[in-house]
Amino acid sequence: MAARAKKKATKIEDDRSSLFNEEFLKKLEYLHMVSRKTFVGQNRADRRMRKIGSGIEFADHRKYSTGDDFRYIDWNVYGRIDKLLLRLFEEEEDLHIYILLDASKSMLIGEPLKLHYAMQMAAALTYVGLANLDRVGIVPFAENLHAHLPVARGKGRIFKVFDFLRGIEAGGPTNLEEATKSFIHRYKRKGLVVVISDFYDPSGFEEGINSLRYNGFEPFVLQIYDEKEVNPNFHGDLTLVDCETGFAKEITVSKSLIDAYKREHEKYCAELSDFCSQKNIPYFRTHTKIAFDELVLKIFRLGGFLK
Amino acid sequence: MNLLTPIASGTIATVAAVLAGLLVLAYILKMRRRRFEVPFSTLWQRVLKEKEATSLWRHLKRLLSLLLLATMVGLLLFAALEPELGGAREDARSIVVIVDASASMKTLDEGNTGEQSRMEAAREQVRLLLDGMSADDSIMLMRMDGRATPLSRFHGDLAKHRKTLSTIEASDTPANLTASLSAAADALRWRKRPQIILVGDGAYPEDALASATWEKVEVPATEPDAATFKNKQLASVDLEGIEVRYQPVGSAANNVGIISFNVRRYISNKLNYEVFIEIQNFSEEPATRRLVLFNGDSEIDVKEVQLAPGQRITKIYPDLGGGAESVLRARIESVKDEASDAFALDDEAWALMPENKRQKVLLVSIDNLYMEGALLIFEHLDVDKLTPEEYETAFAANELPEYDAVIYHAYTPQNVLPSPTHLLYFKPSGPHSPFPITGSLERGRITHVSQTHPITRWLEMSDVNFDTLDTFSVDPSAAEVSLFESIRSSVAAAKKEGRRKIAAFGFDLEGTDVMLRVAFPLMMVNTLDWFAGADSDLITTYTTGRPARVPLDGTYGISEVLVTMPSGATQKAPLREGYATFFATEVGVHKLVARQGGEDVAEIQLAANLSNASESDIEPSAELSLGGKTLERPVPGSATPRQSLWIYLCLMVLLLLLVEWYTFNRRITV
Repeated sequence: MAARAKKKATKIEDDRSSLFNEEFLKKLEYLHMVSRKTFVGQNRADRRMRKIGSGIEFADHRKYSTGDDFRYIDWNVYGRIDKLLLRLFEEEEDLHIYILLDASKSMLIGEPLKLHYAMQMAAALTYVGLANLDRVGIVPFAENLHAHLPVARGKGRIFKVFDFLRGIEAGGPTNLEEATKSFIHRYKRKGLVVVISDFYDPSGFEEGINSLRYNGFEPFVLQIYDEKEVNPNFHGDLTLVDCETGFAKEITVSKSLIDAYKREHEKYCAELSDFCSQKNIPYFRTHTKIAFDELVLKIFRLGGFLK
Repeated sequence: MNLLTPIASGTIATVAAVLAGLLVLAYILKMRRRRFEVPFSTLWQRVLKEKEATSLWRHLKRLLSLLLLATMVGLLLFAALEPELGGAREDARSIVVIVDASASMKTLDEGNTGEQSRMEAAREQVRLLLDGMSADDSIMLMRMDGRATPLSRFHGDLAKHRKTLSTIEASDTPANLTASLSAAADALRWRKRPQIILVGDGAYPEDALASATWEKVEVPATEPDAATFKNKQLASVDLEGIEVRYQPVGSAANNVGIISFNVRRYISNKLNYEVFIEIQNFSEEPATRRLVLFNGDSEIDVKEVQLAPGQRITKIYPDLGGGAESVLRARIESVKDEASDAFALDDEAWALMPENKRQKVLLVSIDNLYMEGALLIFEHLDVDKLTPEEYETAFAANELPEYDAVIYHAYTPQNVLPSPTHLLYFKPSGPHSPFPITGSLERGRITHVSQTHPITRWLEMSDVNFDTLDTFSVDPSAAEVSLFESIRSSVAAAKKEGRRKIAAFGFDLEGTDVMLRVAFPLMMVNTLDWFAGADSDLITTYTTGRPARVPLDGTYGISEVLVTMPSGATQKAPLREGYATFFATEVGVHKLVARQGGEDVAEIQLAANLSNASESDIEPSAELSLGGKTLERPVPGSATPRQSLWIYLCLMVLLLLLVEWYTFNRRITV
């Protein structure tokens, strides 16, 4: 009986059937409308990469080198200063948005589950990206990369996205570094990488994010946590068990210990926030009680995702 | 500070050691902890690493918690020792107050108009005594009637003593002064300033008053003085070093009471009986009383008797007959112009006649005039006679009616009537003999007759001649009894099989001259009476306040008997080997029932009377001489203000418990 109760107590309610319903879709449409009106404004291009290439808008000059196309030599400048300079243009191309979604076991905690919240966020951002004619792919990860949704474009793919998200298998420990390494090897096309995670990685988050940066990707950090993780409401003699590693520790939880833990959690989040600030990486932190659409609007408002 | 130590210090020490052990064990043992899943234990590990620096304090906190609990246990045990503030005074006394609750305390001679009993007056006197007790005095209340019953332990809580006192009521038993003084003296042994205060009417037997000794008697070195001394010493009450005081109650002495009442059936004619009654006038004035005798509710005799002061008269009512009831009652009533006496309990007495049941007996025999003649003389027998052939035919046809007893003469049937029909065999033979036959003695003589069995009562068999005597194998472990023996071989035996009784004689009436002796009809009547349970030696009338052993047939294996008292109250009494230990505390008719498996196995009625001249002599003694020493009146003690501490200790424990609860829930001591 006791064993049954225990089993019942630890069973995770991972019901994803009502995550992406009609109402959710309406919210996504609304978000898309708002993103276009408020944040994109008059820009014709949906989003441009900062890449010099074969576009029509002049960007810069550079010295002529052997083998360069004669057609791009600025003869007017040559006439004035007697130097061969090449005209450079901004290259216009589709933006690639990758959503790295943490599907480790720690995401299966919270009320609602952090994973559900992360899925809704991923779905919302994917929709906005698809609607803006960007190419969006979803890559779940835990210890390594899980089965991914290939990069594609067009609003019509949103239902495939929903189906994919519903089918994500969650579990395993978090290893951001390994996951990003695999990601870099798999995806050669550079783009925006939205990392949605609780960043509870025992080996740290820095290496993972830096890997993305060093390889030309633009990281976008979205940290999700549950309120009970910040304010644990248990006390007394108990055995703490790490849901990912299985590490167990017998402790006696007192008020002072809880206070110390809160400070430590805050410190950890601040470390992540400071790291992102220093590296000029957009960083958002939210708990699962905040409605996902509010968070998306907040992201739009602060910029970084839409340009 | 003074410790009353109501519980022995050794017991407290043992309990303290056990509790301390349990407490330490409880702290050593690890509790099964709840499991709690966290998403990121790294943060907790960092916190715990910081906290390890303060682990010494954490251990200290657990130690503090243990100390807190140990303090609580210690305080509770200390409270159990009943500490009191004010200090023990050197002149503090240990007092046993013996409250006389014997029958004479029911005498109505107190109060202005004599409507108050001596018992009420005694309670009032004890209340006054308690009011005058010093707060340092330790008091024990003891009730004295047929037994000595301590009603409290030694303590100084007067309110509790008053409450206990109010529950004491007089019983119908005479006072057992010797037992009460012995119990009180034993309780006071080794206590400081021991004192006994006896509150009663002083109506105690002279031998009880004389049995007390005040000084230690040296043991005589030589016989036979030593043996005499030992017996005397065993009977006496050693009051050496104990101060005994006496508070009298009561005033009246006018009493006429029945001091003996009994009845017996005649052996020759069991339908008739005679009654014995003894009455005494205990007052100093002549008295006239009407003596009425009842059978059940019917008056069978009324006499007016005149008694001189102190006169005791004996009345015998011979040849009484008739009357359906077996309960006899005698009552003395005051006649016109004569005041009734103050003590009513001995004005009435009960007696029970042994049951006289008609028995239906079947004799299976070829004609034997001696046997038939012997059976004819008993008026309470209905006798049928069958030959062995007729018996077998009737038995096979299942035509035999129910009988109380069957006599098989010189014939041993294969089939006998079922229990509870009793069986009597003369010269049984073959494999169906109730006792295995081991041999035969030619011209044997009976050399030993059982002295205890009802069948052999009053029998003289030494000069009886027999042609042959068959010998039986008797198994005493199966409750088989040898009745007659011829040179250590049993020739007659008896036994019980459940409710059935069986007797067998190893001779027939053809080859003996026993039928020419008085022993023969006596043997027959004894046997049939034993079958019927009509034991003429059975005593059915007892005195209250004295334990008696009462036989109950067929109760082997039953351990207790239910006693219904005259008041209707019931109590259980022990039953061992067929004898119930009966202790009557009320006068009147008692019913004893032994039950097994929800069925009544045996039942007997017994009468109990006061029948005690010392108790009926209600004249109170203003002065009491105990062991040759006149007892003085009790004196009040000197009061010292004292404060009992146990309640404060308990409150302190409660406070500590609250502190522990708060600190635990606030995670201070965890």
